[in-house]
Amino acid sequence: MNRTPYAELLAMLSRHRGVVGSFVVSERDGLAVDSNVQIGVHAEAVAALAASLHRKARLACGAAGCGAVTFLRLDAEKGGICAAGRDDLVLVTISEARANIGLLRVEMMRAAKALT
Amino acid sequence: MADEIRRLSDDLARDPSSLVFVPLADALRRAGQLDVALRVALRGLDRHPYVADAHDVLARIHADRGDLERAADEWEMALRLDPAHAQANLGLGFVDFRRGNLESAERRLSAVGPAEVTPGVTAALAHVRGALSARGMNGFSFEAPNGALPDAIDSRVGVASAPLAPRIATVARTTPVVREFPAPDPSRAKQLFVSALDGADQHALLVDGDGLVLAGAYVDSGGNDVADVIAAELAGVSGEAERAMRHLGLGTWTSLLVEADDAVVAMTPAPNASLLVVTASRQTPVGLVRLLLDRALTRARDWLARVS
Repeated sequence: MNRTPYAELLAMLSRHRGVVGSFVVSERDGLAVDSNVQIGVHAEAVAALAASLHRKARLACGAAGCGAVTFLRLDAEKGGICAAGRDDLVLVTISEARANIGLLRVEMMRAAKALT
Repeated sequence: MADEIRRLSDDLARDPSSLVFVPLADALRRAGQLDVALRVALRGLDRHPYVADAHDVLARIHADRGDLERAADEWEMALRLDPAHAQANLGLGFVDFRRGNLESAERRLSAVGPAEVTPGVTAALAHVRGALSARGMNGFSFEAPNGALPDAIDSRVGVASAPLAPRIATVARTTPVVREFPAPDPSRAKQLFVSALDGADQHALLVDGDGLVLAGAYVDSGGNDVADVIAAELAGVSGEAERAMRHLGLGTWTSLLVEADDAVVAMTPAPNASLLVVTASRQTPVGLVRLLLDRALTRARDWLARVS
């Protein structure tokens, strides 16, 4: 994958404790625009699923009159996915259970504002 | 009684955040003002959702209204908050008795501490044990009829002074037999999560795997019921969350939290491949939304177990 304007941002997110990967993904087609992941992470598949989840959440929030989605967090037994979107682009991180989600959330919401 | 209600009402007016709503609701209930008592109890629970006594008094109000299903829900909530809550245990013992679960009724009634043993409790326990004994000898199938508890309970203990036993006798005579597996009631299904939530700006929905609403309600700021639309939009979320976690090897997904400009939405997988959704205003702390989700999930599990 070619380097993009998001490389530095993704590298910064991937340095957080417990983060094993980060992406910028297009919500519309689920394709990763850029990624920074550890070996063994199924980047394309996860990017597509995260984009789809974000899309469903956005549509549901629109139907409920909740406004635009600013942050999404999917928790599992051993870790989870966080996503923050702007327009068609979604910033996604994959983290283990030991990650500091509060700190990651703040960084991602700040970084998402810069997505264009 | 009227003086007591007036005094407690004044106390509550002076300090609306106090716990005086609990004795006030109970006094109103004993005075037969059940609708007012219900409003007072629900309003109080909006402020104090984790007070076991408040759930207990709401349970008694439901019981006096003949709604044993909701009464049982509230007593169960009281016991979750305070596992040693004797009145909640007694109340559930009565509900078990009415449903014909004699062993469970006997276990709950006999677990009451000495301080809580009134003549009514003693009589109720004797009646349950008698029924158990008769069943053991004759092998008959027990069905609790109206007025199954002995009249002695009412005549020995004053309704106004005793905490529970006379009231359960009153309920036993005035309510229809509660079926063990009641059919889903649409109006009740919509209200399923009301007492599990903390305010009018919070909603909960139980959605099946096909995106159809099972229980709960969602009314938007314009007063429109948009529960079906939200449920449809969320169809498939469970499957996608599960697939994403499988790809990552992170185990089973436990919750999905969405922060939006005007609301926080939390979801979690529920039994029978269903999905539980809780929404709250943006002013609600995110951590509290997760707690609400846990409470609603407990309610959903109980309800699904009953109606499935």
